[in-house]
Amino acid sequence: MVQNMLMNLLHIFIFPGLLFVTVIGVLMTGIDRKLVARMQKRVGPPIVQGFYDFFKLMGKESIVPEAANKPAFLAAPIIGYVSLVVMVLFIPMFSFSVYSGTADMIVLIYLLTIPGVALIVGGTASGNPYAGVGASREMVAMIGYELPLILSVLAVCRKVGGSAMTFSLNEIVNWQAANGCALFQWALIPAALAFLLVIPGEVGTQPFDVAEAETEILEGPLIEYSGAPLAMFKLNTALKMFIMPAMFVALFLGGVHTGNVVLDVVLFILLTGLVSFITMTVPHAIAARFKVERLFKFYWTLVAALGLVSLVLVWFGL
Amino acid sequence: MSYIHFPVIAVMGQFLAAFLVAIFGSKSRKASQAITLIASACAFVLVCLLIKPVALDGQIISYWMGNWEPVSGYAIGIGYEMDALGLFFAVLVSFIILMSAIYSLRYLEHDEAVDRYYTLFLMLSGSLLGLVMTGDLFNMFIMIEIMTFSAVGLTAFRNYIPEALEAAMKYLVIGSVGSSMTLAGVALLYAQTHTLNMAQVAAKIGAMQASGGLTPTVVFAFGLMFVGFGIKSFMFPFHTPVADAHPVAPTSFSMVFSTMVIKAGVYGLIRIAYIVFQVMDKSSVQILITAFGCVTMFLGVTMALAQHDFKRLLAFHSISQIGYIITALGLGTALGLTGSLFHVMNHTLFKALLFMCAGAVLHMTGSKNLDELGGLSKKMPHTTICFLIAAFSIAGIPPFNGFASKWMIYQATYEKAVESGNFFYALVTVVAVVVSVLTLASFIKVTMSVFFGQLPEKYKDAKEAPASMLIPMWITAILCLGTGVLYQLVDRTLTAPAVAASLTPANYVDKMMGSGYAASFSVKDAVATAVQHMSYWNPVLWLTLLVIVMLGVFIVILSGDNERGPVLKTKEPVADGKYATFFSGEKYRHSHMGGSDLFWGFKHDMKPYFDFIEEKHSGVLTDYTLWTIVAMAVIVVYTFVFVK
Repeated sequence: MVQNMLMNLLHIFIFPGLLFVTVIGVLMTGIDRKLVARMQKRVGPPIVQGFYDFFKLMGKESIVPEAANKPAFLAAPIIGYVSLVVMVLFIPMFSFSVYSGTADMIVLIYLLTIPGVALIVGGTASGNPYAGVGASREMVAMIGYELPLILSVLAVCRKVGGSAMTFSLNEIVNWQAANGCALFQWALIPAALAFLLVIPGEVGTQPFDVAEAETEILEGPLIEYSGAPLAMFKLNTALKMFIMPAMFVALFLGGVHTGNVVLDVVLFILLTGLVSFITMTVPHAIAARFKVERLFKFYWTLVAALGLVSLVLVWFGL
Repeated sequence: MSYIHFPVIAVMGQFLAAFLVAIFGSKSRKASQAITLIASACAFVLVCLLIKPVALDGQIISYWMGNWEPVSGYAIGIGYEMDALGLFFAVLVSFIILMSAIYSLRYLEHDEAVDRYYTLFLMLSGSLLGLVMTGDLFNMFIMIEIMTFSAVGLTAFRNYIPEALEAAMKYLVIGSVGSSMTLAGVALLYAQTHTLNMAQVAAKIGAMQASGGLTPTVVFAFGLMFVGFGIKSFMFPFHTPVADAHPVAPTSFSMVFSTMVIKAGVYGLIRIAYIVFQVMDKSSVQILITAFGCVTMFLGVTMALAQHDFKRLLAFHSISQIGYIITALGLGTALGLTGSLFHVMNHTLFKALLFMCAGAVLHMTGSKNLDELGGLSKKMPHTTICFLIAAFSIAGIPPFNGFASKWMIYQATYEKAVESGNFFYALVTVVAVVVSVLTLASFIKVTMSVFFGQLPEKYKDAKEAPASMLIPMWITAILCLGTGVLYQLVDRTLTAPAVAASLTPANYVDKMMGSGYAASFSVKDAVATAVQHMSYWNPVLWLTLLVIVMLGVFIVILSGDNERGPVLKTKEPVADGKYATFFSGEKYRHSHMGGSDLFWGFKHDMKPYFDFIEEKHSGVLTDYTLWTIVAMAVIVVYTFVFVK
């Protein structure tokens, strides 16, 4: 009993929960920044710059503007952070999973919206019109990527479930362990592409960073944030940079058996890093920001079509 | 006293109280309020006392008015029959009526002649309770008529507003068309089966189904009654009166209107489709109902996005959420019906709460224009928190109740898609998810433009709503969270028995007409298979995790640099200094984001669609009536062609 509880606490706070995901997320932002800098022929910051930034912000004064709603303004970043940490506990890393049988794709997708909602609520609670514009754009982006996301997830679920229905991520991973990666099912390739394109939108990296857009609306929802709450929001982005690629790996590249849990986890992290490089670092280095209506149109036409094609193909047994 | 009298006493009590208010209420406001409160509280208690015998022990209460029992197998008197399905709705009705009665104490303080309001209000609540308890088709029609006409009267209660009269007129016309359809359906059924008792009609139709299918008359009757109850539940394309009625009706009535009056139609649909006609195992009926539900939910939410009147926006959301309910009940599976009924309850709770918040804002500021309001969270903190809870619930953010039911609906639609191999249902799942996101967007817009942002000069003196309005708000808000987290408990006590009751028409028939009656007419025992339990969504587990992690985060933050701390007092004036809002040199007065200014990218891309639907919602009554008639024709033809 006690041992069980200690194991649970260990999972929640150390691995793969709080501490692990925070460290890996912040490291990924560091690597991302370094690589982008190198691609643009700059030197770039050191890889641990994310930690420096975090501790610097934690030490700074936190200002709550007069016009803000204080509870909402301060609670928003923490709620977003917590829901991301909870999500990590439910993503199976190949053969390693903390709570098996409880990972439902729909629940995960909904939990994934909470950080976005937290950003919107926090931003609007600050009372700043720039934050209002940013929150509005974040919402438009959210409407945009949610459609292709759900289409591609349904396609995978249909493929895995066959004639039975499943939304369980664990079942998806187990199915892939038996039948090979979902990515290599040709009918699922459009869905995988759609999901890859959703990742940067969900995380909000360039060229999909319409909500924060420093050069236009001064970081939008974050404009009034400073000190510890701002640090928490930066952590949210860092966590998403790990979680979204991790979901992709679990959905489309799952089921690797090396027989060794530690090796599996390391491989999982490496694959996640690779996906993160492809979906976030490279577009960041080469592309300029979308306009908000272009972003929306992009998701609801091209990306949604990819997801739909996959769903139709899978539906008719291909 | 035995509990079998409780349903009738609850109904009669409301009507009696209505007459008492009419007699004594004109003298004093206090008297009408007292009578209303006592009557609605009594009804609530009586209905709650029935939960144990009816829902938990699975009994069905039958009650023959004036002891006119069936003679040689023919029901000749009016029978009341209360099964778990009726009880489920009765609990919700009496709860909302009680909340609304408390809420109206202060809300109507500026209105004259409140005795008229309370008379109609009690008639409405009596008819709603009667509707869900009656076992007689014609009695059901009468209850619907009382309900419609009290609702029309209440819509026009503030009759010095011209729009109120216009809205009441629209509701009256469309509602009457609906009532006529129901009446015509009842008449046809009577012609076919020679009885008006629902149990007996169900038995005869069961026999018909067993021996070579429904006769054309019965199919026609089903089409008409489907349209009739569809109009009462305001599904597409009959949704038009709602949008006009809500902005002008008193909020204490709006909350009953958008929660229970609409649900009366849903109750009727479930009752006739699952029990009286037993047609829910036909795929043609499933597709018909689901398709209408699906269109309703999408149209409702997109219309809501275009609104800038607080209450009109909520009205369109009612339509959209009813779409979810109808979609799920049309699936004809146990899981779908569970999701549907659970969403009925959740929608009742969060929509009532939303209307109460809107009413509080309207009452304290005098405005419901989303482009004008702003920054009220500083002045009305309780209302803001309640509104956020309701908004998160309707948008389906875990762990609030809307999430649990929507999640069941996604699961049910996709399961249906996989089982039947019909791609249509997969698209329904996708639409349902997208509608959920759009709902979130719409409520972000309200939150942003009413409660957050800059406080306009003229609302500087706005105050928090009075306690008699806050108490029902907080009760509903706590229930919104409670039913989301403890949904398994709710499922055990209310929804699962109601689903079981809807799926076993034979029990319903037997209780009323004597055991063995159903079998002699070969009524189907169960329309669909038993409820499957959700294995993947365990809110208690999730919530525990959330709390533990949150504690961890707080510890980390508190153990950090505490000297300057994360929470600071603000001292400096707004105009300048570091606690001021950063405007980048713009003028303060240009700074507020009104409701219409939001989601530009989305609205820009969808402009053709928005222009189209806004043009179609012309507000002209003849157009709307035409839609109704055309839809009726389409549905009737559909049922003739496809429902065998």
